[in-house]
Amino acid sequence: MNLAQLKPGEKGRITAIGVSGPLKRRLMDMGVLVGEEVKVVKVAPMGDPLEVFIKSYHLSLRKNEAEGIAVEVSL
Amino acid sequence: MTAEALRKENIPAAEARVPQRGELRPVEKRTITVAVAGNPNAGKSTLINAIAGSRLHVGNWPGVTVEKKEASFEYAGARIRLIDLPGTYSLSPYTQEEIIARDYLVNERPDLIINVVDATNLERNLYLTVQLMDLGIPMVMALNIFDEAQAKGYRIDVGGIEKMLGIAVIPTSATKKSGLDELLKSAIATAKDPQGHLPQQLNYGEDIEMAADFIAGELIAGHPALIERYPRRWLLLKLMEGDGHVQKVTGFGGNLLEEALRHLKRAHGEDIEAVMAEARYALATGLTREVLQKPELPKTELTEKIDRVVLHRVFGIPIFLAAMWIMFKLTFDLSKPFADWIGAMISGPFKRLAEALLGAIHAPAWTVSLATDGVIAGTGNVLVFVPMIFAMMFFITFLEGSGYMARAAFVMDRAMHSIGLHGKSFIPMLLGVGCNVPAIYATRTLENPRDKALTALLVPLMSCGARLPVYVVFIGAFFPKHGGSVLWSLYMMGILLAIGMGFVFKKTLFKGEAPMFIMELPPYRMPSLRSLLIHTWEKGKHFLIKAGTYILAVSIMVWFLLNLPWGVEHKKDSYLGQVGAIVAPALKPLGFGTWEASSSLIAGLVAKEIVVGTMGEIYLKKEAANEAAKPSLGEELKEVGSSFLKAAGESAANITSTFGITSISAEEDAAKAAERSPLRAELKNQFTPLAAYAFITFVLLYMPCVVAAVAMVQEFGTWKWYGIAFGYQMFLAWGVACLVFQGGKLIGLGG
Repeated sequence: MNLAQLKPGEKGRITAIGVSGPLKRRLMDMGVLVGEEVKVVKVAPMGDPLEVFIKSYHLSLRKNEAEGIAVEVSL
Repeated sequence: MTAEALRKENIPAAEARVPQRGELRPVEKRTITVAVAGNPNAGKSTLINAIAGSRLHVGNWPGVTVEKKEASFEYAGARIRLIDLPGTYSLSPYTQEEIIARDYLVNERPDLIINVVDATNLERNLYLTVQLMDLGIPMVMALNIFDEAQAKGYRIDVGGIEKMLGIAVIPTSATKKSGLDELLKSAIATAKDPQGHLPQQLNYGEDIEMAADFIAGELIAGHPALIERYPRRWLLLKLMEGDGHVQKVTGFGGNLLEEALRHLKRAHGEDIEAVMAEARYALATGLTREVLQKPELPKTELTEKIDRVVLHRVFGIPIFLAAMWIMFKLTFDLSKPFADWIGAMISGPFKRLAEALLGAIHAPAWTVSLATDGVIAGTGNVLVFVPMIFAMMFFITFLEGSGYMARAAFVMDRAMHSIGLHGKSFIPMLLGVGCNVPAIYATRTLENPRDKALTALLVPLMSCGARLPVYVVFIGAFFPKHGGSVLWSLYMMGILLAIGMGFVFKKTLFKGEAPMFIMELPPYRMPSLRSLLIHTWEKGKHFLIKAGTYILAVSIMVWFLLNLPWGVEHKKDSYLGQVGAIVAPALKPLGFGTWEASSSLIAGLVAKEIVVGTMGEIYLKKEAANEAAKPSLGEELKEVGSSFLKAAGESAANITSTFGITSISAEEDAAKAAERSPLRAELKNQFTPLAAYAFITFVLLYMPCVVAAVAMVQEFGTWKWYGIAFGYQMFLAWGVACLVFQGGKLIGLGG
């Protein structure tokens, strides 16, 4: 399961970050780390990008970027 | 400029400066250099505006398009120089902003850092704080937006942060101007006793510290010079992270580093950068947990309520388009009457005044013409842009400061991304329909240099307001019945070609560069009017001085082209006519290979609307100048005042006149139409309808005007992008106009 597959309102815990290079570093700098809880808040009107809630703030990222973030759904 | 080149430039400067710094002189005698660092959206700009106000100077960091703010002032007997570092989330060397911030801190070594921290978002902000502390520079923390945090029911143990980090922490609210005195006093106290205010060395965990100790031992033994030159802690951590730049500069790496990291990698995995990021966040999280107490039941925040509407699946896009329409209207319709007023004043009273003055001292005729048609008209060319630039800067700054800019990007990204652009590219493209110049300046909202360059390259394809008068004259002459559709076809052609060229550039110039869209959606905040005005003024001033000089120079050059050799009877013999005659054969396949047409097009370099004026001068014989009774000086001055009031009234009326954009219309007002009718009649003799359409297509697509060129050179600090824009647009204009004319002939539309 990856972050792009979560529906708005669903929460998950990050299990792995499968991207590399600057994108990975940027995600980590923004607090997207393994073990972190992340909630999908919204999908943009045209279906992309996503808005997620992580580390008590709102972050937006494109679906293809979210696909590289593995999550397990939490309740 | 690339990141590499930027670094190379900064290093020698730093080396040259370090020995000059008088560390032993008392604080009162020297300037305290304070670097202000913090996350984007932490209120850093507002804080600096509140402290420095009109003493603020806005410019660019050398060689890059990132804005640099600076202010020097005296406070409590000390001279303080504030340097605003770009807002960053981290000091990793991946974005332009991060490289600038970190190179400045490492190479220039300011006396202290003011770290602006958003109290409502402590954890992520402290992640940067942890990295700043590694630099070993004395630091004061401005715990900003403290009022909002309190209103949210957050309880922050300020003393606790001070104790754990070993630095002074001052709660501030930049918008309410509270805590600023304490902050400055604390900064001065820190500068007086730097050793007593060094941040604590944070413990990254046993495995990392062990590796760091190992490397420290090696460095002290083998590379003592490096330890002298760089902040030790920072150097150790960067070497461990495998920071390419630091490794290259220091030449430290290879087996020794491998050995140091062996245990760390075995225990935590190969990616040391990730291990470090996790360790830093662990510190930030731990600290936040110690000092922050949030209320049990968080209220639904205003930001979430607004976003429910503004980012709604159905209403999100209409709301965005409505917001854009308002911005467009305010930028162009609000400023147009003032621009027209400036234009009329320059070509009217001021010109007449100059003529009278020069006449009185019996200046030769050519100097009068140079002064009025060259210098004064050129100044007018600069000034007419000023209202528009100011209005645009004001709205863009407002959109950014309020937090809506990020939402605009969020809503539009899907559509813009499909043509290789960024969600934020929409606004410059839209502004381009009004005028390409503010549109190019508006690309500064894009952080990624690739997105920025690509957007600026495509903006000139948006048909701007200055091209409209050319279309209107030709439409009036050749397609009076189908005016609307012809006009529409031109705007659409520009948009479609922009989409097409977007694809081409993505596959060629910007091949392999994958930009990302990792962006914070900050809480909505009302930007302070003072901050907005200061910023707008600074940017507008920048345009006036820097761009103005170039534009004036080009205007004078064109005057020389048009009027020399002095006293030519016929325009054909002027330098412009001569150049036009040389270029003309190249335009033959497009259906308008005459010196008249090509000269007019060349004159359009100054502004595309000048094509019409030049055609008027070339095609029509000068009528006897009707020397009506010249108004007296008193009447002139009265006219200046009353017409300004009229412009202000019109500007207000344009805002209230709800729908429709006043500045875009195929209609001419009656007075202009009458004035242009002889030209229209003459054009009918000179062009066939097909050639006329090819001509306006060419006007749509060919080179950006000189003001747009100056804007591009200014924004990017290099001629490269303007060169590319010039080249591809000339090629495109020639190709499409040729296609129109030859294709039209082929299907029997007549030549």
